[in-house]
Amino acid sequence: MAVSLWHLFAVCSLVSSPVLGSAQENLHISGFTRLVGGVLGTDEARYQGYDDSVSVSSFSSVSSFSLAAVQADYQFTDYLSGSAQVLYHSSENRDSGIEWLYLSFEPTEALQLKAGRLRTPALFYSDVQDVGYAYPWVLAPQQLYSAYIFTRYEGANLRYRFAWDNMQFELEGYWGHFDDEISSGDLSLNLHVENLNGLIGLVRFGNGLSIRLATMHAPETDINMVQLDLLQQGLQVAGFEKLARMVSLEGSSRNYMASISYEGLEWFATAEGTTLDSEIDALAELQSYYVMAGRYLGDFQVFATLAASSYSLNEINNTIPPGLSPELDQLYYGVEILKATLLTDELRSFSLGTRWDFRPSMALKAEITWLDGEPGKSSFYDVTSIQEGFDRDTTLYQVAWEWVF
Amino acid sequence: MKRSWLYPAILTGMLLFSANVSAQVVVVANLGEKNTSMKKAEIRNLFMGGIGGQLDPVTLSPGIRERHMFNTLIVGLTESRIQSYWAQMRFSGRNHEPVEVESVEAMLRYLLENEGSVGYLPADFPVPRSLTVLYTTG
Repeated sequence: MAVSLWHLFAVCSLVSSPVLGSAQENLHISGFTRLVGGVLGTDEARYQGYDDSVSVSSFSSVSSFSLAAVQADYQFTDYLSGSAQVLYHSSENRDSGIEWLYLSFEPTEALQLKAGRLRTPALFYSDVQDVGYAYPWVLAPQQLYSAYIFTRYEGANLRYRFAWDNMQFELEGYWGHFDDEISSGDLSLNLHVENLNGLIGLVRFGNGLSIRLATMHAPETDINMVQLDLLQQGLQVAGFEKLARMVSLEGSSRNYMASISYEGLEWFATAEGTTLDSEIDALAELQSYYVMAGRYLGDFQVFATLAASSYSLNEINNTIPPGLSPELDQLYYGVEILKATLLTDELRSFSLGTRWDFRPSMALKAEITWLDGEPGKSSFYDVTSIQEGFDRDTTLYQVAWEWVF
Repeated sequence: MKRSWLYPAILTGMLLFSANVSAQVVVVANLGEKNTSMKKAEIRNLFMGGIGGQLDPVTLSPGIRERHMFNTLIVGLTESRIQSYWAQMRFSGRNHEPVEVESVEAMLRYLLENEGSVGYLPADFPVPRSLTVLYTTG
């Protein structure tokens, strides 16, 4: 993967040259890269792929958020265009490849219909989470931004815009399905969502203030994990039907999201909040938010972010009596292991960051984040990495280089 | 008839009349026979990709003084934030940044050649009669 990423950096450099960039009038090539590195202040756990080791000379030490992408936009007619984005990254939990692939139909300035493979626009920066240049942080608040696993979908997106007085309005709806093999913590599973849909309303007030409200509904979610399927079948055969239903990962979930943002010449601030309700017994209900405020100092930005998440798990009552037979004991411990691996990502964090736009289209960032999790809960740490006695409190140091072209 | 000498000649004359560097900008448009004006917030929205009717914004490249003045006085955002915003728009497929030109001379040329275009010039720049002044800062 590292070799591919370096190759893509080379391709990025090549296609950003004016010669190739202007090769064809209707074709526009652009892209972005980010190199992210960091170190965690503890050896008792890993957090979002970070641990306590750092080595600037080794490519393998850069974080899983390092990536490079090339996007091609082709204008077929005045109203129809096509876009493809190929993305390579260093994360072991994602597949590199085609991230976006869609046709865009814009019959009027106000109306846009996109169809194909698209990024899910759940939160304010969700559909550009890979484009680090678009936001101030090295790592967008994980309490919100890592909670959405339906990061992309195949389907359609309709957007209507209109203006009233100084205000600009956007109404957007999307629908599609999501298929992926994803990793959550240290578990690998197949996820299928049918009829994923959402609505978004955005108002820009013309004075730097904007408000965004959004919903995301996954009415038919089916998560397959080999170990879980075996456990479920075993529970059914042994007559523990209710327990088998409780460990099932099929059902629906609904998210509500609200964002408010101010962008001025000297100050900027953003706050986002989300609540997630799920019918799936084994999954949590989530409430999370962040508040960020910052100031511009010439080419520098300095900012502070406070973020928190709270989870409430549906209690899985393990009704299997232990010690009766080896088969039942196996099922008993299977349920206990499942309970132990369910994510309970309660975490408060406070971060201070700075960004330096040292030249057009390039920025350097540095960020320090104090993590304050809940003992006994996963708190966004990699579940299997947490060592006995770790209090879930530590500090994360990160730096990043961002480039768009 | 092609008059390739016309724009440099006009521009040279204008530059002679604008020896004192202005700290303000004037927003001008090629509207053909129409005549109108715009509010500051409407201009800001237009240059940030909002609904703009039949108007097409054109802007100067980053680093040029008049762009910095326009960003400060009209858009109300820093250069870095504007660049971040357009990165977000471009890579989410929502919008594209305005046409960019390399100099005030190129801006004037573009405006004169493209009906419906909206751009900006230094405030003490003599505006050709074929262009309409939409807004003046200061």
